[in-house]
Amino acid sequence: MKTGDSYIFRSVASFLFFVINVFAVYLLLRGHNLPGGGFIGGLGSALSLIMLSMAYGVREAQKVLRVDPVRLATVGLLLAVVTGMLPLFLGEPFLRHFHWKFDGLPLLGKLEVGTPLLFDIGIFLVVVGVTAKMIFVLFRSISGLTALNPSEWRRYSADLEEPVEREHSRSSSELETEDGP
Amino acid sequence: MVALLFTAILLPFLLLPAVLAVGDRWRARTGWLALAAPVGSFAILLHLALTVAEPGGRLVVELAWVPSLGLDFTFMIDGLSLFFGLVVSGMGILVVFYASHYLDDHYRHHDRFYAYLLLFMGAMLGTVLAGNLLLLFVFWELTGITSFLLIGFLHEKSESRDGARMALLVTATTGLAMLAGIVLLGQAAGTYEIAALMDGAARNASPGTLSAAFVLIAIGALGKSAQFPFHFWLPNAMAAPTPVSAYLHSATMVKLGVFLIARIFPVFQGVELWAPLLITICFGTMLLAAVLALLSQDLKAILAFSTVSQLGFLIGFYGMGPAGGVQGDLLHIASHVFYKGCLFMVVGIVDHSTGVRDIRQLGGLRRELPLLAGITLVAAASMAGLPGTLGFISKEYMLKDMFAYWEGSAALAWYPLVFVGVASALKVAFSARIYWGIFGGPPSEKALAHFHAPGLGMQLAPLLLAGACLLFGLFPGLLGTGLAALQTAGLHDPTVVHYSLWHGVTREFLTSLLIMAAGAVVFFWLRRSFWARARIPAPLRFDAGFEGLVTAVPKWAKALGLALRFDRQFDYLAIALGFMVLMVGGYWWTQRTVLWPGLPTEADFDPVRTLVVGLIALAMAMIIVMRRWTSQLIAVSIIGFLITFYYVLFRAPDLAMTQILVESATLLLVLLLLARFPRSAEISEIGWFFSGRRQAVNLAISAGVGLLATLAALMAMQHRHPDPSGDYYLANTVPLAHGTNTVNTILVDFRGFDTLLEATVLVIACLGAIGLVMRYRRTAEEYAAGAMGPAGYGLGRKTEKKAEEADQ
Repeated sequence: MKTGDSYIFRSVASFLFFVINVFAVYLLLRGHNLPGGGFIGGLGSALSLIMLSMAYGVREAQKVLRVDPVRLATVGLLLAVVTGMLPLFLGEPFLRHFHWKFDGLPLLGKLEVGTPLLFDIGIFLVVVGVTAKMIFVLFRSISGLTALNPSEWRRYSADLEEPVEREHSRSSSELETEDGP
Repeated sequence: MVALLFTAILLPFLLLPAVLAVGDRWRARTGWLALAAPVGSFAILLHLALTVAEPGGRLVVELAWVPSLGLDFTFMIDGLSLFFGLVVSGMGILVVFYASHYLDDHYRHHDRFYAYLLLFMGAMLGTVLAGNLLLLFVFWELTGITSFLLIGFLHEKSESRDGARMALLVTATTGLAMLAGIVLLGQAAGTYEIAALMDGAARNASPGTLSAAFVLIAIGALGKSAQFPFHFWLPNAMAAPTPVSAYLHSATMVKLGVFLIARIFPVFQGVELWAPLLITICFGTMLLAAVLALLSQDLKAILAFSTVSQLGFLIGFYGMGPAGGVQGDLLHIASHVFYKGCLFMVVGIVDHSTGVRDIRQLGGLRRELPLLAGITLVAAASMAGLPGTLGFISKEYMLKDMFAYWEGSAALAWYPLVFVGVASALKVAFSARIYWGIFGGPPSEKALAHFHAPGLGMQLAPLLLAGACLLFGLFPGLLGTGLAALQTAGLHDPTVVHYSLWHGVTREFLTSLLIMAAGAVVFFWLRRSFWARARIPAPLRFDAGFEGLVTAVPKWAKALGLALRFDRQFDYLAIALGFMVLMVGGYWWTQRTVLWPGLPTEADFDPVRTLVVGLIALAMAMIIVMRRWTSQLIAVSIIGFLITFYYVLFRAPDLAMTQILVESATLLLVLLLLARFPRSAEISEIGWFFSGRRQAVNLAISAGVGLLATLAALMAMQHRHPDPSGDYYLANTVPLAHGTNTVNTILVDFRGFDTLLEATVLVIACLGAIGLVMRYRRTAEEYAAGAMGPAGYGLGRKTEKKAEEADQ
């Protein structure tokens, strides 16, 4: 897929990227009382990454995210599990949630927060991570790149394993330069 | 006390992050940090044994986990669990200490090794201290998984991978049988708590259920302890680094079968199958494995088979147990732990120093390894049961029980005595062979070629174990006092036995002498020429058959798939849908007078809803009319977006938002996938796969499915659930979950466990997909063809070829 050839799309995309993500976090935070939540917010954030990949090419999008999305998903899952396990130390059953009420906070005023928010952040990260990983892998495969980059190869395969998919010196280097701005 | 117990179990897990963090920098010294876990756990358990536990007493600690499933974190402190806990953590200290010398800087991934070892240790402590059968099962399986990781630690070697896979498959499969048995028992007794079961909660269960539960649980125990017919996995697991073999495959994990049988002794001892099943299989295994040990050449294989043999005795011993309880079982287990752990470490040192493990190529090392020779002499003597060692005491009391059983009136009363006698004689022979094979005879050139002397640190752990063999062998009263304090209610006969070295010239003593003499004869006789060319005959090598089975399964599956034409999905769709139309539609037709929902009335029609339905119908027509894949896909997507309207109509903004986002994401992802296919793939249509008659059948099936869907929609409008679950959530979302968005409170609070598991599934699916993507290999031509290169397989290629033919 040829990407990164529309100046208008790129300009709009880089602006929209922030708007979408701010809105996604807003949806996540208000989820407990108003429509929204971790799953919805995560999907929104993942969509912003699709848009970025389309506008700038997948390698730029990967640079924006910096970490391997699977790590995000793992951290999210751990966060959810740990949130669920916290009550165990207080003699309460698994996944019991706690809530705290605050009054008279600066700027925010009255606020009621609880462990459900932590759990929801975990779900948010899982959804972003898993969706982003699949987006990147598919985008890379249609951009003439190997599905995983060398550092990911080291992580997902054994030490002595040869990559099954090797970048062919000539053709792939041409494709690499074609991708991205 | 509760906090102490939890600390003891959690300590290995808590130390994991630290070990992983420093592993890269500390390398071989990581072991010193890991040592903290077994030392701490051992100290706590010892403290508990000295202060809390009393002979025959029992302490239960509970913590609710999933109370609705009867699954609680229940831990039980009694003699048996403390004994095994002390063995696990005590051997843990020695093994980690030994490993920190054994795994020097030539090895890599010390962090991983100690992390697996700590995980295993924690799982073992959890298993033996568990007070709930389901919890026990969870930890039990965790030991299986960690042992898989440890056996396969040197995964560059194919034998490690095969050994690890075999161990996992055997123990996990038998573990499933055990789970079935546990559930059967739990359902019959109404509780999974071990304490309640030991007190007779299953008393009223029918004998048939109890027998079935016992057989299933016994399969799990026999699989874990490598008893016939599962005895083949343990020797193959010897591909693990030697500290692992010393820990898992002699002292701890394989003893879990023994532990489990001891645990359920009070529950199942009365079952009619108990004695015959355990006695025949386990004493049979004892003899078989002793013969196999005699035929093996690899030092570790000899020790592995001798472990299988001894485990057979330990389990069979419980099989003979009278209703009142057994005596001396802990002595036999302790004796085996001391000498077998020691011998494994010795073999590891010999391997480390010489690089040779084949006993035929070793010899004459007593001058190079004087200390090790002494250690080996004591440990081998204990294994053979020579006087002055703990093995002798163990054998005396073992023979005493055998004679007592013979005098009893049970069927097969002679069986244990004869089998144990013969196996013990063989054991004397291969114990002698181990010592003479390594240290006796002329010096072997091959062993000395790369010889380097081991440090004292590496020899310290086996030295301590050999010292224990000797100390308790000379003063058995010391061990006896300790073990008497660990007496377990229901399992042990409460009368106290005072172990002593000499009881006069009894029949046990004479039999013991006879066994030693026979063993010596066998040793000198086989030594002449037999051992130089001994090998295990093919029919006794179950592992080859097992490997064949494992490799055959994918082949069968592939053949079956080809025979059933799984690649022709259109046929399968027609069959599945046609079957549904015939069965569901046919049933509806026979019941039409009752089930006829009635046509919708004028009042059911609403202008807005009718408009949306009309738009959906239009999009469907587009799917049929459109020719390009992308256009069809977008038409499908339009339907998805239009469905959002209904969510809005029924006041579910969360669902509407989710629907829009999921629809957009899937549309984009599938569009990306389509970009992988060449343009030529979509030129032609599916249509010309089928003849005209086939198309008529397809049309009929489609019409039938449409009619059924219409009927279902009509019926859904007529019926309302008498007790909708939504009301409960709506009423309780604010008081119980402190949130006004009910959809969200259901997701994160009321049904949070579902969400957690779904998130887990999502991550697993993602990893699986990465695995699939990694497997796909593009050829150089496909790369050269660029992003729009030819599709990998299946429909695309076929259509492409046909389209090409059509062009000509």
